[in-house]
Amino acid sequence: MLKGVHQKLEAQQTPAFFVRGPSPFSGMVFFCALSVSIMAVDARFNYLSQVRQAFIAALHPLEVVANAPSEWYRDVQKYFSAHNALVQENYALKQQAFEHQIKLQRLSTIQAENDHLRSLLNGNIPIQPKAVLGEISHMGRDPFTHTVVVNRGSQQNIKAGQAVVDSKGVIGQVTRVYPFTSEVTLITDKELSIPIQIERNQLRAIAFGEGNNTLDIPYLPTNVDIKVGDKLVTSGIDGVYPSGLAVATVTKIQQNPESPFAKIVSTPVADVSNHLQLLLLELPEAKESNLVPPSAIEVVDHKKEGETKKNSELRKNSGTEKNINHKNKAKTNAPH
Amino acid sequence: MRHTSLVSVYISLLIALLCQLFPWVGQGIIFRPDFMLVVILYWLLRTPNLCNVGTAWFAGLMVDLATGSLLGQHALSFSIAAFIALSYQRRLVLFNTWQLTAYVAAILTIERVLILLLKLFEGNENPGWHYFWPIITGLLLWQFMIMMFGGLTRPKTN
Repeated sequence: MLKGVHQKLEAQQTPAFFVRGPSPFSGMVFFCALSVSIMAVDARFNYLSQVRQAFIAALHPLEVVANAPSEWYRDVQKYFSAHNALVQENYALKQQAFEHQIKLQRLSTIQAENDHLRSLLNGNIPIQPKAVLGEISHMGRDPFTHTVVVNRGSQQNIKAGQAVVDSKGVIGQVTRVYPFTSEVTLITDKELSIPIQIERNQLRAIAFGEGNNTLDIPYLPTNVDIKVGDKLVTSGIDGVYPSGLAVATVTKIQQNPESPFAKIVSTPVADVSNHLQLLLLELPEAKESNLVPPSAIEVVDHKKEGETKKNSELRKNSGTEKNINHKNKAKTNAPH
Repeated sequence: MRHTSLVSVYISLLIALLCQLFPWVGQGIIFRPDFMLVVILYWLLRTPNLCNVGTAWFAGLMVDLATGSLLGQHALSFSIAAFIALSYQRRLVLFNTWQLTAYVAAILTIERVLILLLKLFEGNENPGWHYFWPIITGLLLWQFMIMMFGGLTRPKTN
């Protein structure tokens, strides 16, 4: 009887008369090899981005269906918002708009003055980038990365690398563009870094995402002049983020005696989870004139700057101006 | 009840993909079960003649494309999970409900750990213990699948 059972099990292991294709083991080996090679190709080359784009475009109707319930919920909420609340909100917004208008009047005169001064000093006038208004359709689906998906894509001329901001500050950068949507990686993501400046003392640094809703500013000495509560703004050196946008506030500074560097932790000011609208800033054209050095440096050695300007005007097309600007920065930074 | 067609397999996979695409926010993404994995596991254990490791691989690829993660990660882990599921599939009739649930939990855990390893190799942060919540919610989804399409432990009567 035992023998019979054994035979039965054997027959179950290799059912010769049921044709079921290759065995699970060979299938597993084959598909594992296939996925490893796909992973290698996807990580190292950009061949598969087209495949991804085509797939996301094909999936768009399904996404619309999946997003429908939350949109309905939002619409219903809007419909049932009370008259009283609307009136109050309207009043508050009007007041805010009034205040902003007053500030804007001052800003425009200051802007004109600034441009005038810059032109007097042979400086470059920064270009205001155009922007497209987008709406967050959902948060990223991969819990490991910090991304949001925005309802603007290559159909609306969105390109990878564009900076994304909201009313409070920088959100991140467009990393993948699909036909109708695009993926924005937040500045808190581990893959993203952003050139920043301390608003108080114009100290430049680079902030890196830490992957847990904070930013880290590494490679600064322990005696660096940064305090808790300092505001970080974009420096505009990279040519992607326009200068002067709020990025984060410093929340914690740790000085480890074993390390030559201070551990500076800051939290972003932009609040993705609370509102939906955001602005996708147009990428500046790759021109030398867009690499605007901070005005303070130009004032310090504007004579040199003037000389180099003349030189660079003679050799118009080369990247010399940029290099010289950087050299000047290095010189002015050295005495600090 | 026992008869299932290829159409129902693919329709349930499509619905699982739809659930995966649902805009999960905040806490939701922590508790979100692996819809595709649970559904494909159910069909692999229930009707191995309708789907195989290749189907699981394809479902994993869909998840990769939908989540925007590195292409092939979920495909790899899904095919390994499918292999483990299939290698014991014929002995399932001997299992009782609890044993079966434990078995499914083990497969879900293995898949989760595989994805974690791949993500860590990729250079991601260690997400912490809440990363394993989807195993629990996945088991709840498993019970739901059994309620919807029938259990697996009874011997076949066809």
